[in-house]
Amino acid sequence: MPDIVAMHIPDGYLGPQTYVVMWMVMVPIWVIAARKVKRTLKAKQIPLLALGAAFAFVIMMFNVPVIGGSTGHAVGATLIAIILGPWAAVIAVSIALVIQAGLFGDGGITAIAANCFNMAVVIPFVGYYLYRLICGDAPSSSRRVISSGVAAYVAIVVGAICAGFEFGIQPHIAHAAGGQALYAPYKLSVAVPAMALEHLLFFGVVEAIVTMGVVAALARTEPELLQMMPAAKPLRWLWAVVGVLILLTPIGVLAPGTAWGEWGSDQIQSRLGYVPSGFDKLGGLWKAAMPDYTTPGVSNTMLGYLIAAVVGVALCVGIAWGAGALLARRRNNDGADPAGTVPPANASG
Amino acid sequence: MSNPCPCCQPDILPAARRRGGGRSLARKTADSVAGAITDVLQNEETAARPGLLQRLDPRVKLLTLVLFAVTVSFVHSVWVLLGLVGLTMLLAAVSRVGVASFARKVWASAALLALLIALPSALSYFTPGQAVLSVGPVTLTEPGLMGVATLVTRVAAAAGFALLVIWTMRWSDLLHALSAMRLPDVVVATLAMTQKQILTLLRTVEQIHLARESRTLGRGTNRENRAWVTERMAFVVRKSMKTADDVYDAMLARGFTGAMPSLTHLRLRPRDWVWAAASVALCAAVLYADRIVGPR
Repeated sequence: MPDIVAMHIPDGYLGPQTYVVMWMVMVPIWVIAARKVKRTLKAKQIPLLALGAAFAFVIMMFNVPVIGGSTGHAVGATLIAIILGPWAAVIAVSIALVIQAGLFGDGGITAIAANCFNMAVVIPFVGYYLYRLICGDAPSSSRRVISSGVAAYVAIVVGAICAGFEFGIQPHIAHAAGGQALYAPYKLSVAVPAMALEHLLFFGVVEAIVTMGVVAALARTEPELLQMMPAAKPLRWLWAVVGVLILLTPIGVLAPGTAWGEWGSDQIQSRLGYVPSGFDKLGGLWKAAMPDYTTPGVSNTMLGYLIAAVVGVALCVGIAWGAGALLARRRNNDGADPAGTVPPANASG
Repeated sequence: MSNPCPCCQPDILPAARRRGGGRSLARKTADSVAGAITDVLQNEETAARPGLLQRLDPRVKLLTLVLFAVTVSFVHSVWVLLGLVGLTMLLAAVSRVGVASFARKVWASAALLALLIALPSALSYFTPGQAVLSVGPVTLTEPGLMGVATLVTRVAAAAGFALLVIWTMRWSDLLHALSAMRLPDVVVATLAMTQKQILTLLRTVEQIHLARESRTLGRGTNRENRAWVTERMAFVVRKSMKTADDVYDAMLARGFTGAMPSLTHLRLRPRDWVWAAASVALCAAVLYADRIVGPR
C-alpha cells in the first residue's frame, strides 16, 4: 500500500541564495507572531502553544485512507489556524516543524525557514482568512465544515506552489556553465505544475477530508473550540488585496514560454514533430470564451489580461457567493443550529 | 448475566470486507507512532554514549555541525561532497552511534529519495548536453547525471550532519544550548514542553490505534476508516486543549511567574575550543578545495 508523505524540503535542495532569504523573511514573522500571541494569550501561551505544536506534530502521524489502498498524511495547519488563530498557528506549526527536523530528521536544518514559510505561514493565513471569508459572521455547522474543507484545500495548494517556486528557481539562479544543476534540478515550468498537480489531486483532498472531518466532529461535540477566535469581521482589506493582485496580472504577459504541460497543438507539433490523433481530435472540442486570457475585441494585450482577471475573479466570487447563499437558505429552512453558531462579534472580543 | 461493556465489544465488520493482505490501517499507524517513540528513546541512548561529539559542549557542537551543514550547501563539487559524506561517517564512527545504522538512515531514506526525484532530470529533455547513454528515445546527458550526483551527495552529506546533531545531542542539551545562545526563554520553554506533550500524545494515539486493532475484525471501507480517523483527530484536539488548561493550572499552582531559570551552567573546556577551531579551519579548507575542483 503506498504511503504518501507531505512537503518537507530536506537540506541540499535549496541553495544559500534561497534559504538565507527565507530565514530573513521568517525571523521578523516569528518576532511579530510571538508579540501578537503574547498579547492575546498572555501567560497561558506556553502550554497552549506547546499543546498546539504537539497536536500539529501528532496529526501528521495519522494515516488517512484516501483511495484504493493508498494513505496520506495531513499537515493540519489550516485546522490549527481555525482553532488557535493564524498567528498562534505560525508559532505552533513552526515549533512542530523544528521538532520534526531536530528530533526526527524530517526536513532539513538550513531549510527550516523555507518549510516554516510554506507550512506555518502560507497555509495558516490563506486557510484561516479563506475560512472566515466563506464562513461569514453567523455560520451553521455545515457551512463551517464546507468552509474549512475549501480553505484547507486551497491553502495547501498555495503552500505547495510556494514550495514548487522555491524548488523551481534553483536551476535559474544556480547552475554550472555546462548546464549542470547544483541544487533542485527542475525549472519553474516543471516544479510548480508538478507540486501544484500532486496537491490538487491528492494532498489537497487529504487535507480537506481531515479538516472537514475534524471540524464536523468538533462542531458536534465541542463547538466552543471553534469559537475561540473572534467572530468574523468584514474582510474589506482582502478585497483590496484581490484588487492589487488583479492590477498585477499583466506581469504574466512578461513571462516567456508556456507552463510545462500546458502546450497547445502547435507547441506539441514543434516539440514532438507530430500531434497525437486523440489530442488533435479532442483539442478543439471546447472553445474557450477568453482563450489564453485574451479578451475578444481587445487588441491591447495588457488590457485584455486585466479584463480576463476581473472576469475570472468575478466568476469565482459569484460561484462561492451562490454556494454560500444556498447553504444559508438551507440553514434558515432547517432552523439555526445553536451548536454551530458563533457568538456576535462584540461578545467574543 | 450482565451485558458486556459496549466499548469492549468487538466491531465485527462484514466478512466481504476482509480482503487484502498486510497491516490494517490501525496497525500501520500504531507501528509508525511506536517507531517515532522508539526513535526519540534511541536518540537519547546514542547521545549518552561516550563518543567524541557527545563529550563536546552542546553549544559548540550545535554551532559547528550547523556550520558544516551550511558549508555543504555552498559546495558544488561532487568529489568534495563525497569527502564530506566520508567525514560524516568518520564522525559517526568516533561518536559510537553505529556506522551501519547511520549509513542506512542517510542513504536508504534521504539520498535514495533524492535519487528517485532527481533521476529524470538527467534526461536530455530536462538537461541538454553531451549524451552519455541512449536507449531508444531516452538519452541521459553528462550535465544531467552530474546534477543528479551533486544533489544526491549534497543531500547525503547534509542529512549526515543533521543526523549527527540528532544522534549525539540530548534534547535537554539542545535546549540548554539554544537558551545559552539567547533564544527567548518562552521559546525554549515551549519547545521543552512540546517535546514532552508530543510523547504523551503519541502514546495516546498508539493506544487508540492498538485498541481499535485489537477489537476490530475485518478492515472496513475507506469511508468508515476516514470517519474513524477524523473522529480520533478531533479527540486529540480536545485532549490537547484540555491538557493545556490543566498544565496552565499546574503552573499557576506551583507559583509560575514567567521566569525560567536554568540549573545547568555550561562551561567551555580546552577540547571545545580545539574542536571549534578545527571545524572552522576544515570548513574553510573545504570551500577552498571546492573553488579549485568545483564546476564553474
